[in-house]
Amino acid sequence: MTGRQNLAACFLWVMMFTLRVGAANDDVRPALEQNFSTRLQPLLQKYCLDCHSTEKHKGDLDLERLRSPTVALTQPKIWRRAIEQITEGEMPPGKKPQPTTLERETLLQGLTSLLAFTSAVHPSSGAGEGGPRLRSGKFALTAADKSYWAFQSVHLPAVPRSTKTAGPKNAIDAFVSADLKAGKLSMNPPATPRELVRRASFDLLGLPPTPEEVAAFEKNPTDAAWEQLIDRLLVSPHYGERWGRHWLDLVRYAESNGYERDGAKPNAWRYRDYVIESCNDDKPYDRFIREQLAGDEMADEQLAVVAGSKEWRDAIIATGYYRLHVWDDEPDSTVKAEFDDLDDIMVTTGTAFLGLTIGCARCHDHKFDPISQVDYYSMLSFVRTVDGYGLQHTGGGGRGTGKIQRVLATRAELEKWESEKRQRVKEAEQRLVQAADAEAQKRLEAELKKAREPMPPPDYALAIAENGPKPKATHVLARGDAFNPKAEVAPAFPAVLGLPAPTFSGRSADAGTTGRRRVLADWIASPQNPLTARVMVNRIWQKHFGVGIVPTPDDFGQTGVRPTNQPLLDYLASEFVASGWSVKRMHKLIMTSRAYRMSSHADNRRALAVDEANTLLWRQNLRRVEAEVIRDTMLAASGTLNPKRGGPSVFPTLPKEVHGTQDSSGKGWADSPAEEQNRRSVYLVVKRALKVPLLECLDFANSASPVGVRPNTTTAPQALMLLNDAFVQTQAAALATRITREGGERTEKQIERAFQLVLQRAPTEAEMRASLSLLIDQRQRAAAERAPDPSRVALNSFCRGLLNVNEMIYVD
Amino acid sequence: MVGGSVLLPGLVSQLIAEDGARSAPVDPLLPRAPHFTPKAKRVIFLYMSGGVSHVDSWDPKPKLFADAGKSISVDEFQGRKGDFKMFAKRPQWKFSPHGRCGTEVSDLFPHMAGCVDDLCVIRSMKSDHTNHYEATLGIHTGSFTFARPSIGSWLSYGLGTVNRNLPSFIVIAPKSPYAGGQVWASDFLPGAHQGTLVLPGAEPVANIKRRAATGRLQELELAAMAKLNRQHLATRVDDPLLNARIKSFETAFGMQAEMPEVFDLSKESDATLQLYGLARGSTQGFAWQCLVARRLAERGVRFVELIDVGSSDNWDAHGDMLTHTPLARNVDRPIAGLLRDLKSRGMLDDTLVVWTTEFGRTPFNNSADARGREHHHWVYSSWLAGGGTKPGTVYGESDDYGINVGKDQVHVHDLHATILHLMGLDHERLTYRHTGRDYRLTDVAGNVVKGLIV
Repeated sequence: MTGRQNLAACFLWVMMFTLRVGAANDDVRPALEQNFSTRLQPLLQKYCLDCHSTEKHKGDLDLERLRSPTVALTQPKIWRRAIEQITEGEMPPGKKPQPTTLERETLLQGLTSLLAFTSAVHPSSGAGEGGPRLRSGKFALTAADKSYWAFQSVHLPAVPRSTKTAGPKNAIDAFVSADLKAGKLSMNPPATPRELVRRASFDLLGLPPTPEEVAAFEKNPTDAAWEQLIDRLLVSPHYGERWGRHWLDLVRYAESNGYERDGAKPNAWRYRDYVIESCNDDKPYDRFIREQLAGDEMADEQLAVVAGSKEWRDAIIATGYYRLHVWDDEPDSTVKAEFDDLDDIMVTTGTAFLGLTIGCARCHDHKFDPISQVDYYSMLSFVRTVDGYGLQHTGGGGRGTGKIQRVLATRAELEKWESEKRQRVKEAEQRLVQAADAEAQKRLEAELKKAREPMPPPDYALAIAENGPKPKATHVLARGDAFNPKAEVAPAFPAVLGLPAPTFSGRSADAGTTGRRRVLADWIASPQNPLTARVMVNRIWQKHFGVGIVPTPDDFGQTGVRPTNQPLLDYLASEFVASGWSVKRMHKLIMTSRAYRMSSHADNRRALAVDEANTLLWRQNLRRVEAEVIRDTMLAASGTLNPKRGGPSVFPTLPKEVHGTQDSSGKGWADSPAEEQNRRSVYLVVKRALKVPLLECLDFANSASPVGVRPNTTTAPQALMLLNDAFVQTQAAALATRITREGGERTEKQIERAFQLVLQRAPTEAEMRASLSLLIDQRQRAAAERAPDPSRVALNSFCRGLLNVNEMIYVD
Repeated sequence: MVGGSVLLPGLVSQLIAEDGARSAPVDPLLPRAPHFTPKAKRVIFLYMSGGVSHVDSWDPKPKLFADAGKSISVDEFQGRKGDFKMFAKRPQWKFSPHGRCGTEVSDLFPHMAGCVDDLCVIRSMKSDHTNHYEATLGIHTGSFTFARPSIGSWLSYGLGTVNRNLPSFIVIAPKSPYAGGQVWASDFLPGAHQGTLVLPGAEPVANIKRRAATGRLQELELAAMAKLNRQHLATRVDDPLLNARIKSFETAFGMQAEMPEVFDLSKESDATLQLYGLARGSTQGFAWQCLVARRLAERGVRFVELIDVGSSDNWDAHGDMLTHTPLARNVDRPIAGLLRDLKSRGMLDDTLVVWTTEFGRTPFNNSADARGREHHHWVYSSWLAGGGTKPGTVYGESDDYGINVGKDQVHVHDLHATILHLMGLDHERLTYRHTGRDYRLTDVAGNVVKGLIV
């Protein structure tokens, strides 16, 4: 075997190995030991043992002791340090004989795979120790960078064979079981039918099931009925309202600009509706990406869309994506501010679509990931020509013309409207000339004025604009300083991926855009992109299990956490692409697995002892639902939820103290009509300077940066809110009314109905007793304290209490 | 749920926990040990919104008096670079030495001037931005550009709180400041560390008034709820999240009782009210804010911030320096009263009082007869008192006209590092992992200013 072949084999072997790391599988151990003895040991002997022998043990390092591969495989610390020093060229020291490039690579590759293995087998001293490794000051891509797991293309891994008789029907279970087997664990038994219906309903719709839905499935909890249930939930329009909001978290959706004045982003809600509808339509994810990043080019150049069609409108509205960032209307420097805006777009694009912290490379090469500043600005040049928000204070030379809206009409439609208007105006003018008296003149003047207005008023969308086909130059900015441009860069993808430079077809002189974003979109939405599909399936998985296979869904880089089961992740990613990027197919695939349907109860003491964190997935996770779901669930239980879909946002009535926190109290906040206020939370306005307090206190997305994982806090102010906020009172009272209506005369029946509506189950005997005694005590106490309508006081109190129990907002 | 797993190494599970992928630590407000023995246990942060003129208050500039009206040239004005011909503007208030220490301060704050023996005046503060929004964000979060956690949130995160019936971080503000709620936002830190806003008035805290008709009725309700919750919990192995939520309702119940008590000033003596200059029954003005701050400090609240007015009708004296007069009258006696009150109760030793603003005001103007002053972040003044700071001293100098730092610059980051240090925290070690990197209050800068510390 020649040296080059040797190296190639080593590469291939490392890659095969990498796929298996998640399983911490002992199958590779013999190969690894052999590799150590035959390939690494001779090189260590030749270049290292001179100083690091048992006798000399320079730097306290005795490599002789590690001659046995069995011992070598237990020393991640030493190998990590060795890799570092060899990579940096510190070892072997300059005055000593140096290994050839090939030898160096062989050594590094071998040690890297060794390290990966030892880290997986001995996790307590594993990859996380000491945190991620800082890169050296001078940027250079290493072999380890290029072979990083997340940068390798996705291949469909072989499904582990099950030793079980029938074998799992769903490949997910095979992958999960394989991991559990390594830990000598097994899956929890299935959850109860009631738990399953609740889980499915909250996961897909963000709403509780009706008691009737639960009862039906409890009667017939078959696989077929389960599939039907999932299918039914997936076609509900509430699905998009749930999953659309997940996407809105990632693109830090808000309808105002933030900063002091927090001005409105006109028509931002159209983007929100676009996202919701796209989810409901199960729009292929690759198309969803292309529309947001380059929908205007698709629309204007009629790429797979017909002018004036719904797809055409959607493609334009989708580019509102570029307008969602916070925007400073009074920056110190417009030049710097322009780059702040572009950076916001870069950070979000990197995070949301690619799971990469690209933004870290704005001022310097990325400290941990192989992304250089040149990479950053090369990526930025794809979006450099975006015409930015304009300015109140002009001057400084930065930023754009402020064309942040686009009319949702085709050129033909606009021309038709224009000619109709001309006709209208002409006729009105003629009538005016012939006005008989002063009164008629006045009327006709008003008519003329009206004729001059657009009819019907066209729709506008928050959307992108570029000014022609000529791209603006992009330079690397020294330390991110807009006033210190260095070398000019051309659009390119991060060098570590080793992709050819993008090519751009010639643009006609009258093209509205540079066409660059379309190339970026195609690259991100490509099945060959190693990150896109993995990142998305991981997000879907995360919302079904509470934690992703990569537990840091916004960071697939060195500072993130490695996948706990990479074969599973790659299997899902392959299936996702193969299904035509269908998110709904992924839901079905995941939800029909046994893994998804496991009980979340942590009764298995042995499993708890071995894997308390449930990394191997021996049970489902108990999860608290999000802020919106808490609010929507109260509305659903009380029967007051208004299911109206879409349209301009709803402004709920807030206490005046809350408005007091805004710069000018109540500015831009006109309370919506009462019935509108009971709509789903996704339709409530998202104003950066004034979030709806109920949602904000329950960990609503921060709306300033991408949020793949919302924090999950439990605080006393939350409890105060849930006890005393006006909204909760209204819902408790509505629930009380509902249960007297639906439960009938008897108190027991009312209590039972309340439990059914809130928790979808009958109360236990003990709960019935507790509820009854609460009602009786409250009634007596209230009567003694001369409260008006003591029965009602008692019932409201019972309902408020029930709406606040843990079981309502925790999904088993 | 986190930690203790043999499959997830400690650090990784910590990373996950901090990134929020898993459940956060059970109770983020539990008291946590500082990095080293602290000199101060709590902070009262007095923030004057709009930009108080340093050359009219804490920083005497005889040359500015002498050369008033003369033209001087400066290379930056209102954030624009260039060569500007400006006119030195005479300070509006007279300076004279005060106290045993003899620190020279102006007549603008006569009551505070009487407290100089307790103050450590900083005359070399430096900010990074000339706009209100950014500079306000900077003095509160260390970030002059993007929203980041506020200093109060950082301290709450680092130290937790000792009184579980009250929030760890409370902000009393009659009106919204520049940058609004971002001034007290926890941003990426867990929400429990967010400042709780108190608005002077009849209902100072949202949702503190119970909806149940009486406390007893509410207790019944909560008890029944707790019963259901415990039964629910019993079928799940002792889950910290479920437990924490049960606890949170107990705390909320306590807050309903304790919070109104904090705002009930009826038991304060006439002498105390007089010390602050507060009329009995009034909830108006900075005096009310100061007295409530002392009551909160007494009850163990970690960080209390008082904001003087908000983003309008404030210290932003572009038009006329004399608009400082009524503003000074509103804060001067209450702040002096607060210092004296803390001292007489033995609380000043371990309570750090910080007085600051987002920037100073220009010692010059572009016309000789301008009556106001513009924004000026190159140098300005602040002061510290108590909590292990050097009483009766002056730290740092501005140049002859008060245009730039002359000596011993204290950048906003340095001030933050020093505050954390006094509270027993190393600003370089108080970090939080978010979107793949460790964040600090002081970003990548900041030095503890030893000269401010006893």
